[in-house]
Amino acid sequence: MLKGVIDPEIGINIVDLGLVSEVESKADVNIITMTLTTPGCPMHSSISTWVENVIGHFEPEKKVVINLVSEPLWTPDKMTREARQQLGM
Amino acid sequence: MVQSESIVSAYAPPFRIVAKYFVAAIISFVVLNLLLLLNYSSISGHHFQPKILSINHIATLGWITMIIFGAMFQLVPVVLETKLFSEKLAEIQFWIYLPGVIGFVYCFWVFDTGFNMTFFATLLNLAMFIFSFNIILTMKSVKSWNVTGWFLAAAIFYLIVTAIAGLLLAINLWTPYIKLSHLQYLNLHAHIAFIGWISMVIMGVSFKLIPMFTLSHGYSLTHAKLAFWMINIGLFGIAATMLFEKTTNLYYTFILLVVLGIIFFLLQIHIIFKNRIRKKFDIGIKFSSAAYFMLGLTTVLGTFIAFVDYESIINLTLVYGYMIIFGYISMLIVGQMYKIVPFLVWYHKYSSKVGLEPVSMLKDMFIEKFAEIEFYLMLTAVFCSLYSLAFRSEIGLLISFSLMLISSIIFLFNMIAIFRK
Repeated sequence: MLKGVIDPEIGINIVDLGLVSEVESKADVNIITMTLTTPGCPMHSSISTWVENVIGHFEPEKKVVINLVSEPLWTPDKMTREARQQLGM
Repeated sequence: MVQSESIVSAYAPPFRIVAKYFVAAIISFVVLNLLLLLNYSSISGHHFQPKILSINHIATLGWITMIIFGAMFQLVPVVLETKLFSEKLAEIQFWIYLPGVIGFVYCFWVFDTGFNMTFFATLLNLAMFIFSFNIILTMKSVKSWNVTGWFLAAAIFYLIVTAIAGLLLAINLWTPYIKLSHLQYLNLHAHIAFIGWISMVIMGVSFKLIPMFTLSHGYSLTHAKLAFWMINIGLFGIAATMLFEKTTNLYYTFILLVVLGIIFFLLQIHIIFKNRIRKKFDIGIKFSSAAYFMLGLTTVLGTFIAFVDYESIINLTLVYGYMIIFGYISMLIVGQMYKIVPFLVWYHKYSSKVGLEPVSMLKDMFIEKFAEIEFYLMLTAVFCSLYSLAFRSEIGLLISFSLMLISSIIFLFNMIAIFRK
């Protein structure tokens, strides 16, 4: 379902971009570990809010915790092949 | 959930404040092109002429500075991760600045250089002081500084210097008191405005936005830092040496330092582009890269002008000014607006629906084909105008100013389309 969160600028979803590194689903909480393409990206709070909204929408009974990490830095090789093709790499 | 949503709104000011500045700026751009076209046969000769001075200030105050104000209200809080000191001041500033611009350019047009011009120049100063006060107090709460922050802080300093210098020049036209030549001070006022104020903003913002738009990674910002010091030391040196003796070796050294700083800026931009992941150039990036290219050309011409008696070559300053305002700055603004405005409107409208229902992508916010046409029209108009100014072809100016007006109307049309989305 996180594939529904698309970076509006690039037009690629955050999963294919390789921004989501870990999804941990526990009994009462979903923990998402993710990063952003640029440190201090102006979109930082928006993207995490979208992720919270989406997860919260599908599993409203569980809490959502977004773990936004800056290390390790995002690198282009984290992208899927589809995403790379879309960017013309 | 609610908490992170409030962080977004806490950082960025309300869209209506930013939009007000953008709308006024875009209208100024069209008016400016219309006036150029209607007066095409007067755009020749020495630059110190009422209509040329008037149109130039519609460009610098109504179009360029107006759009920078709006963009900085949006970007400074977001990029430096802090809240704008006062939204109310941003609102009040607009209503002081707008009549200031209109009154001031009208005074130039009819060459009313008495009390009225000084009065409107004072209004402009007041608005710019309010702006600087607002941004400085915003920056005071910044926790982690970056290169963009340095450039923007320096830009604020030069805005104030430019504003005060402009006011002093206005007073000098009313009651002459400046011992040195008025034109020499005008030269300094213009260069501090273009290199100190406008270019510092452009450079600082470029370092943040271009990597974001092109997805550029893994480069160092050494060139940007060197550019910062070279340009600042150079500008201080130019101002200081000019007050004593103009044609000293020291004066020329400082000019070369500024030129070197601009070259380092362009090298940094080149490095950012080289490290980009997104290979395809969209319309915003096309405009921007053409603008950086024009900055390079303008710098070559500017260096030449510094070493010759430029006033003896007819229309040379007009060619130079046109290159700066249209080739470099306007192309860059238009390009960045095609990236920023769709995002702001998109965010306003669709942000809460992301992931839950299909939403538009940014490129669907306007008709890219029209923007593409605008790009080629504008580029043609720039080169055609430069040729016509240099070789004093009136018919050439008529054609190129018409093309530029059409391209500005397409821009207006596209921006209205985005706002109405």
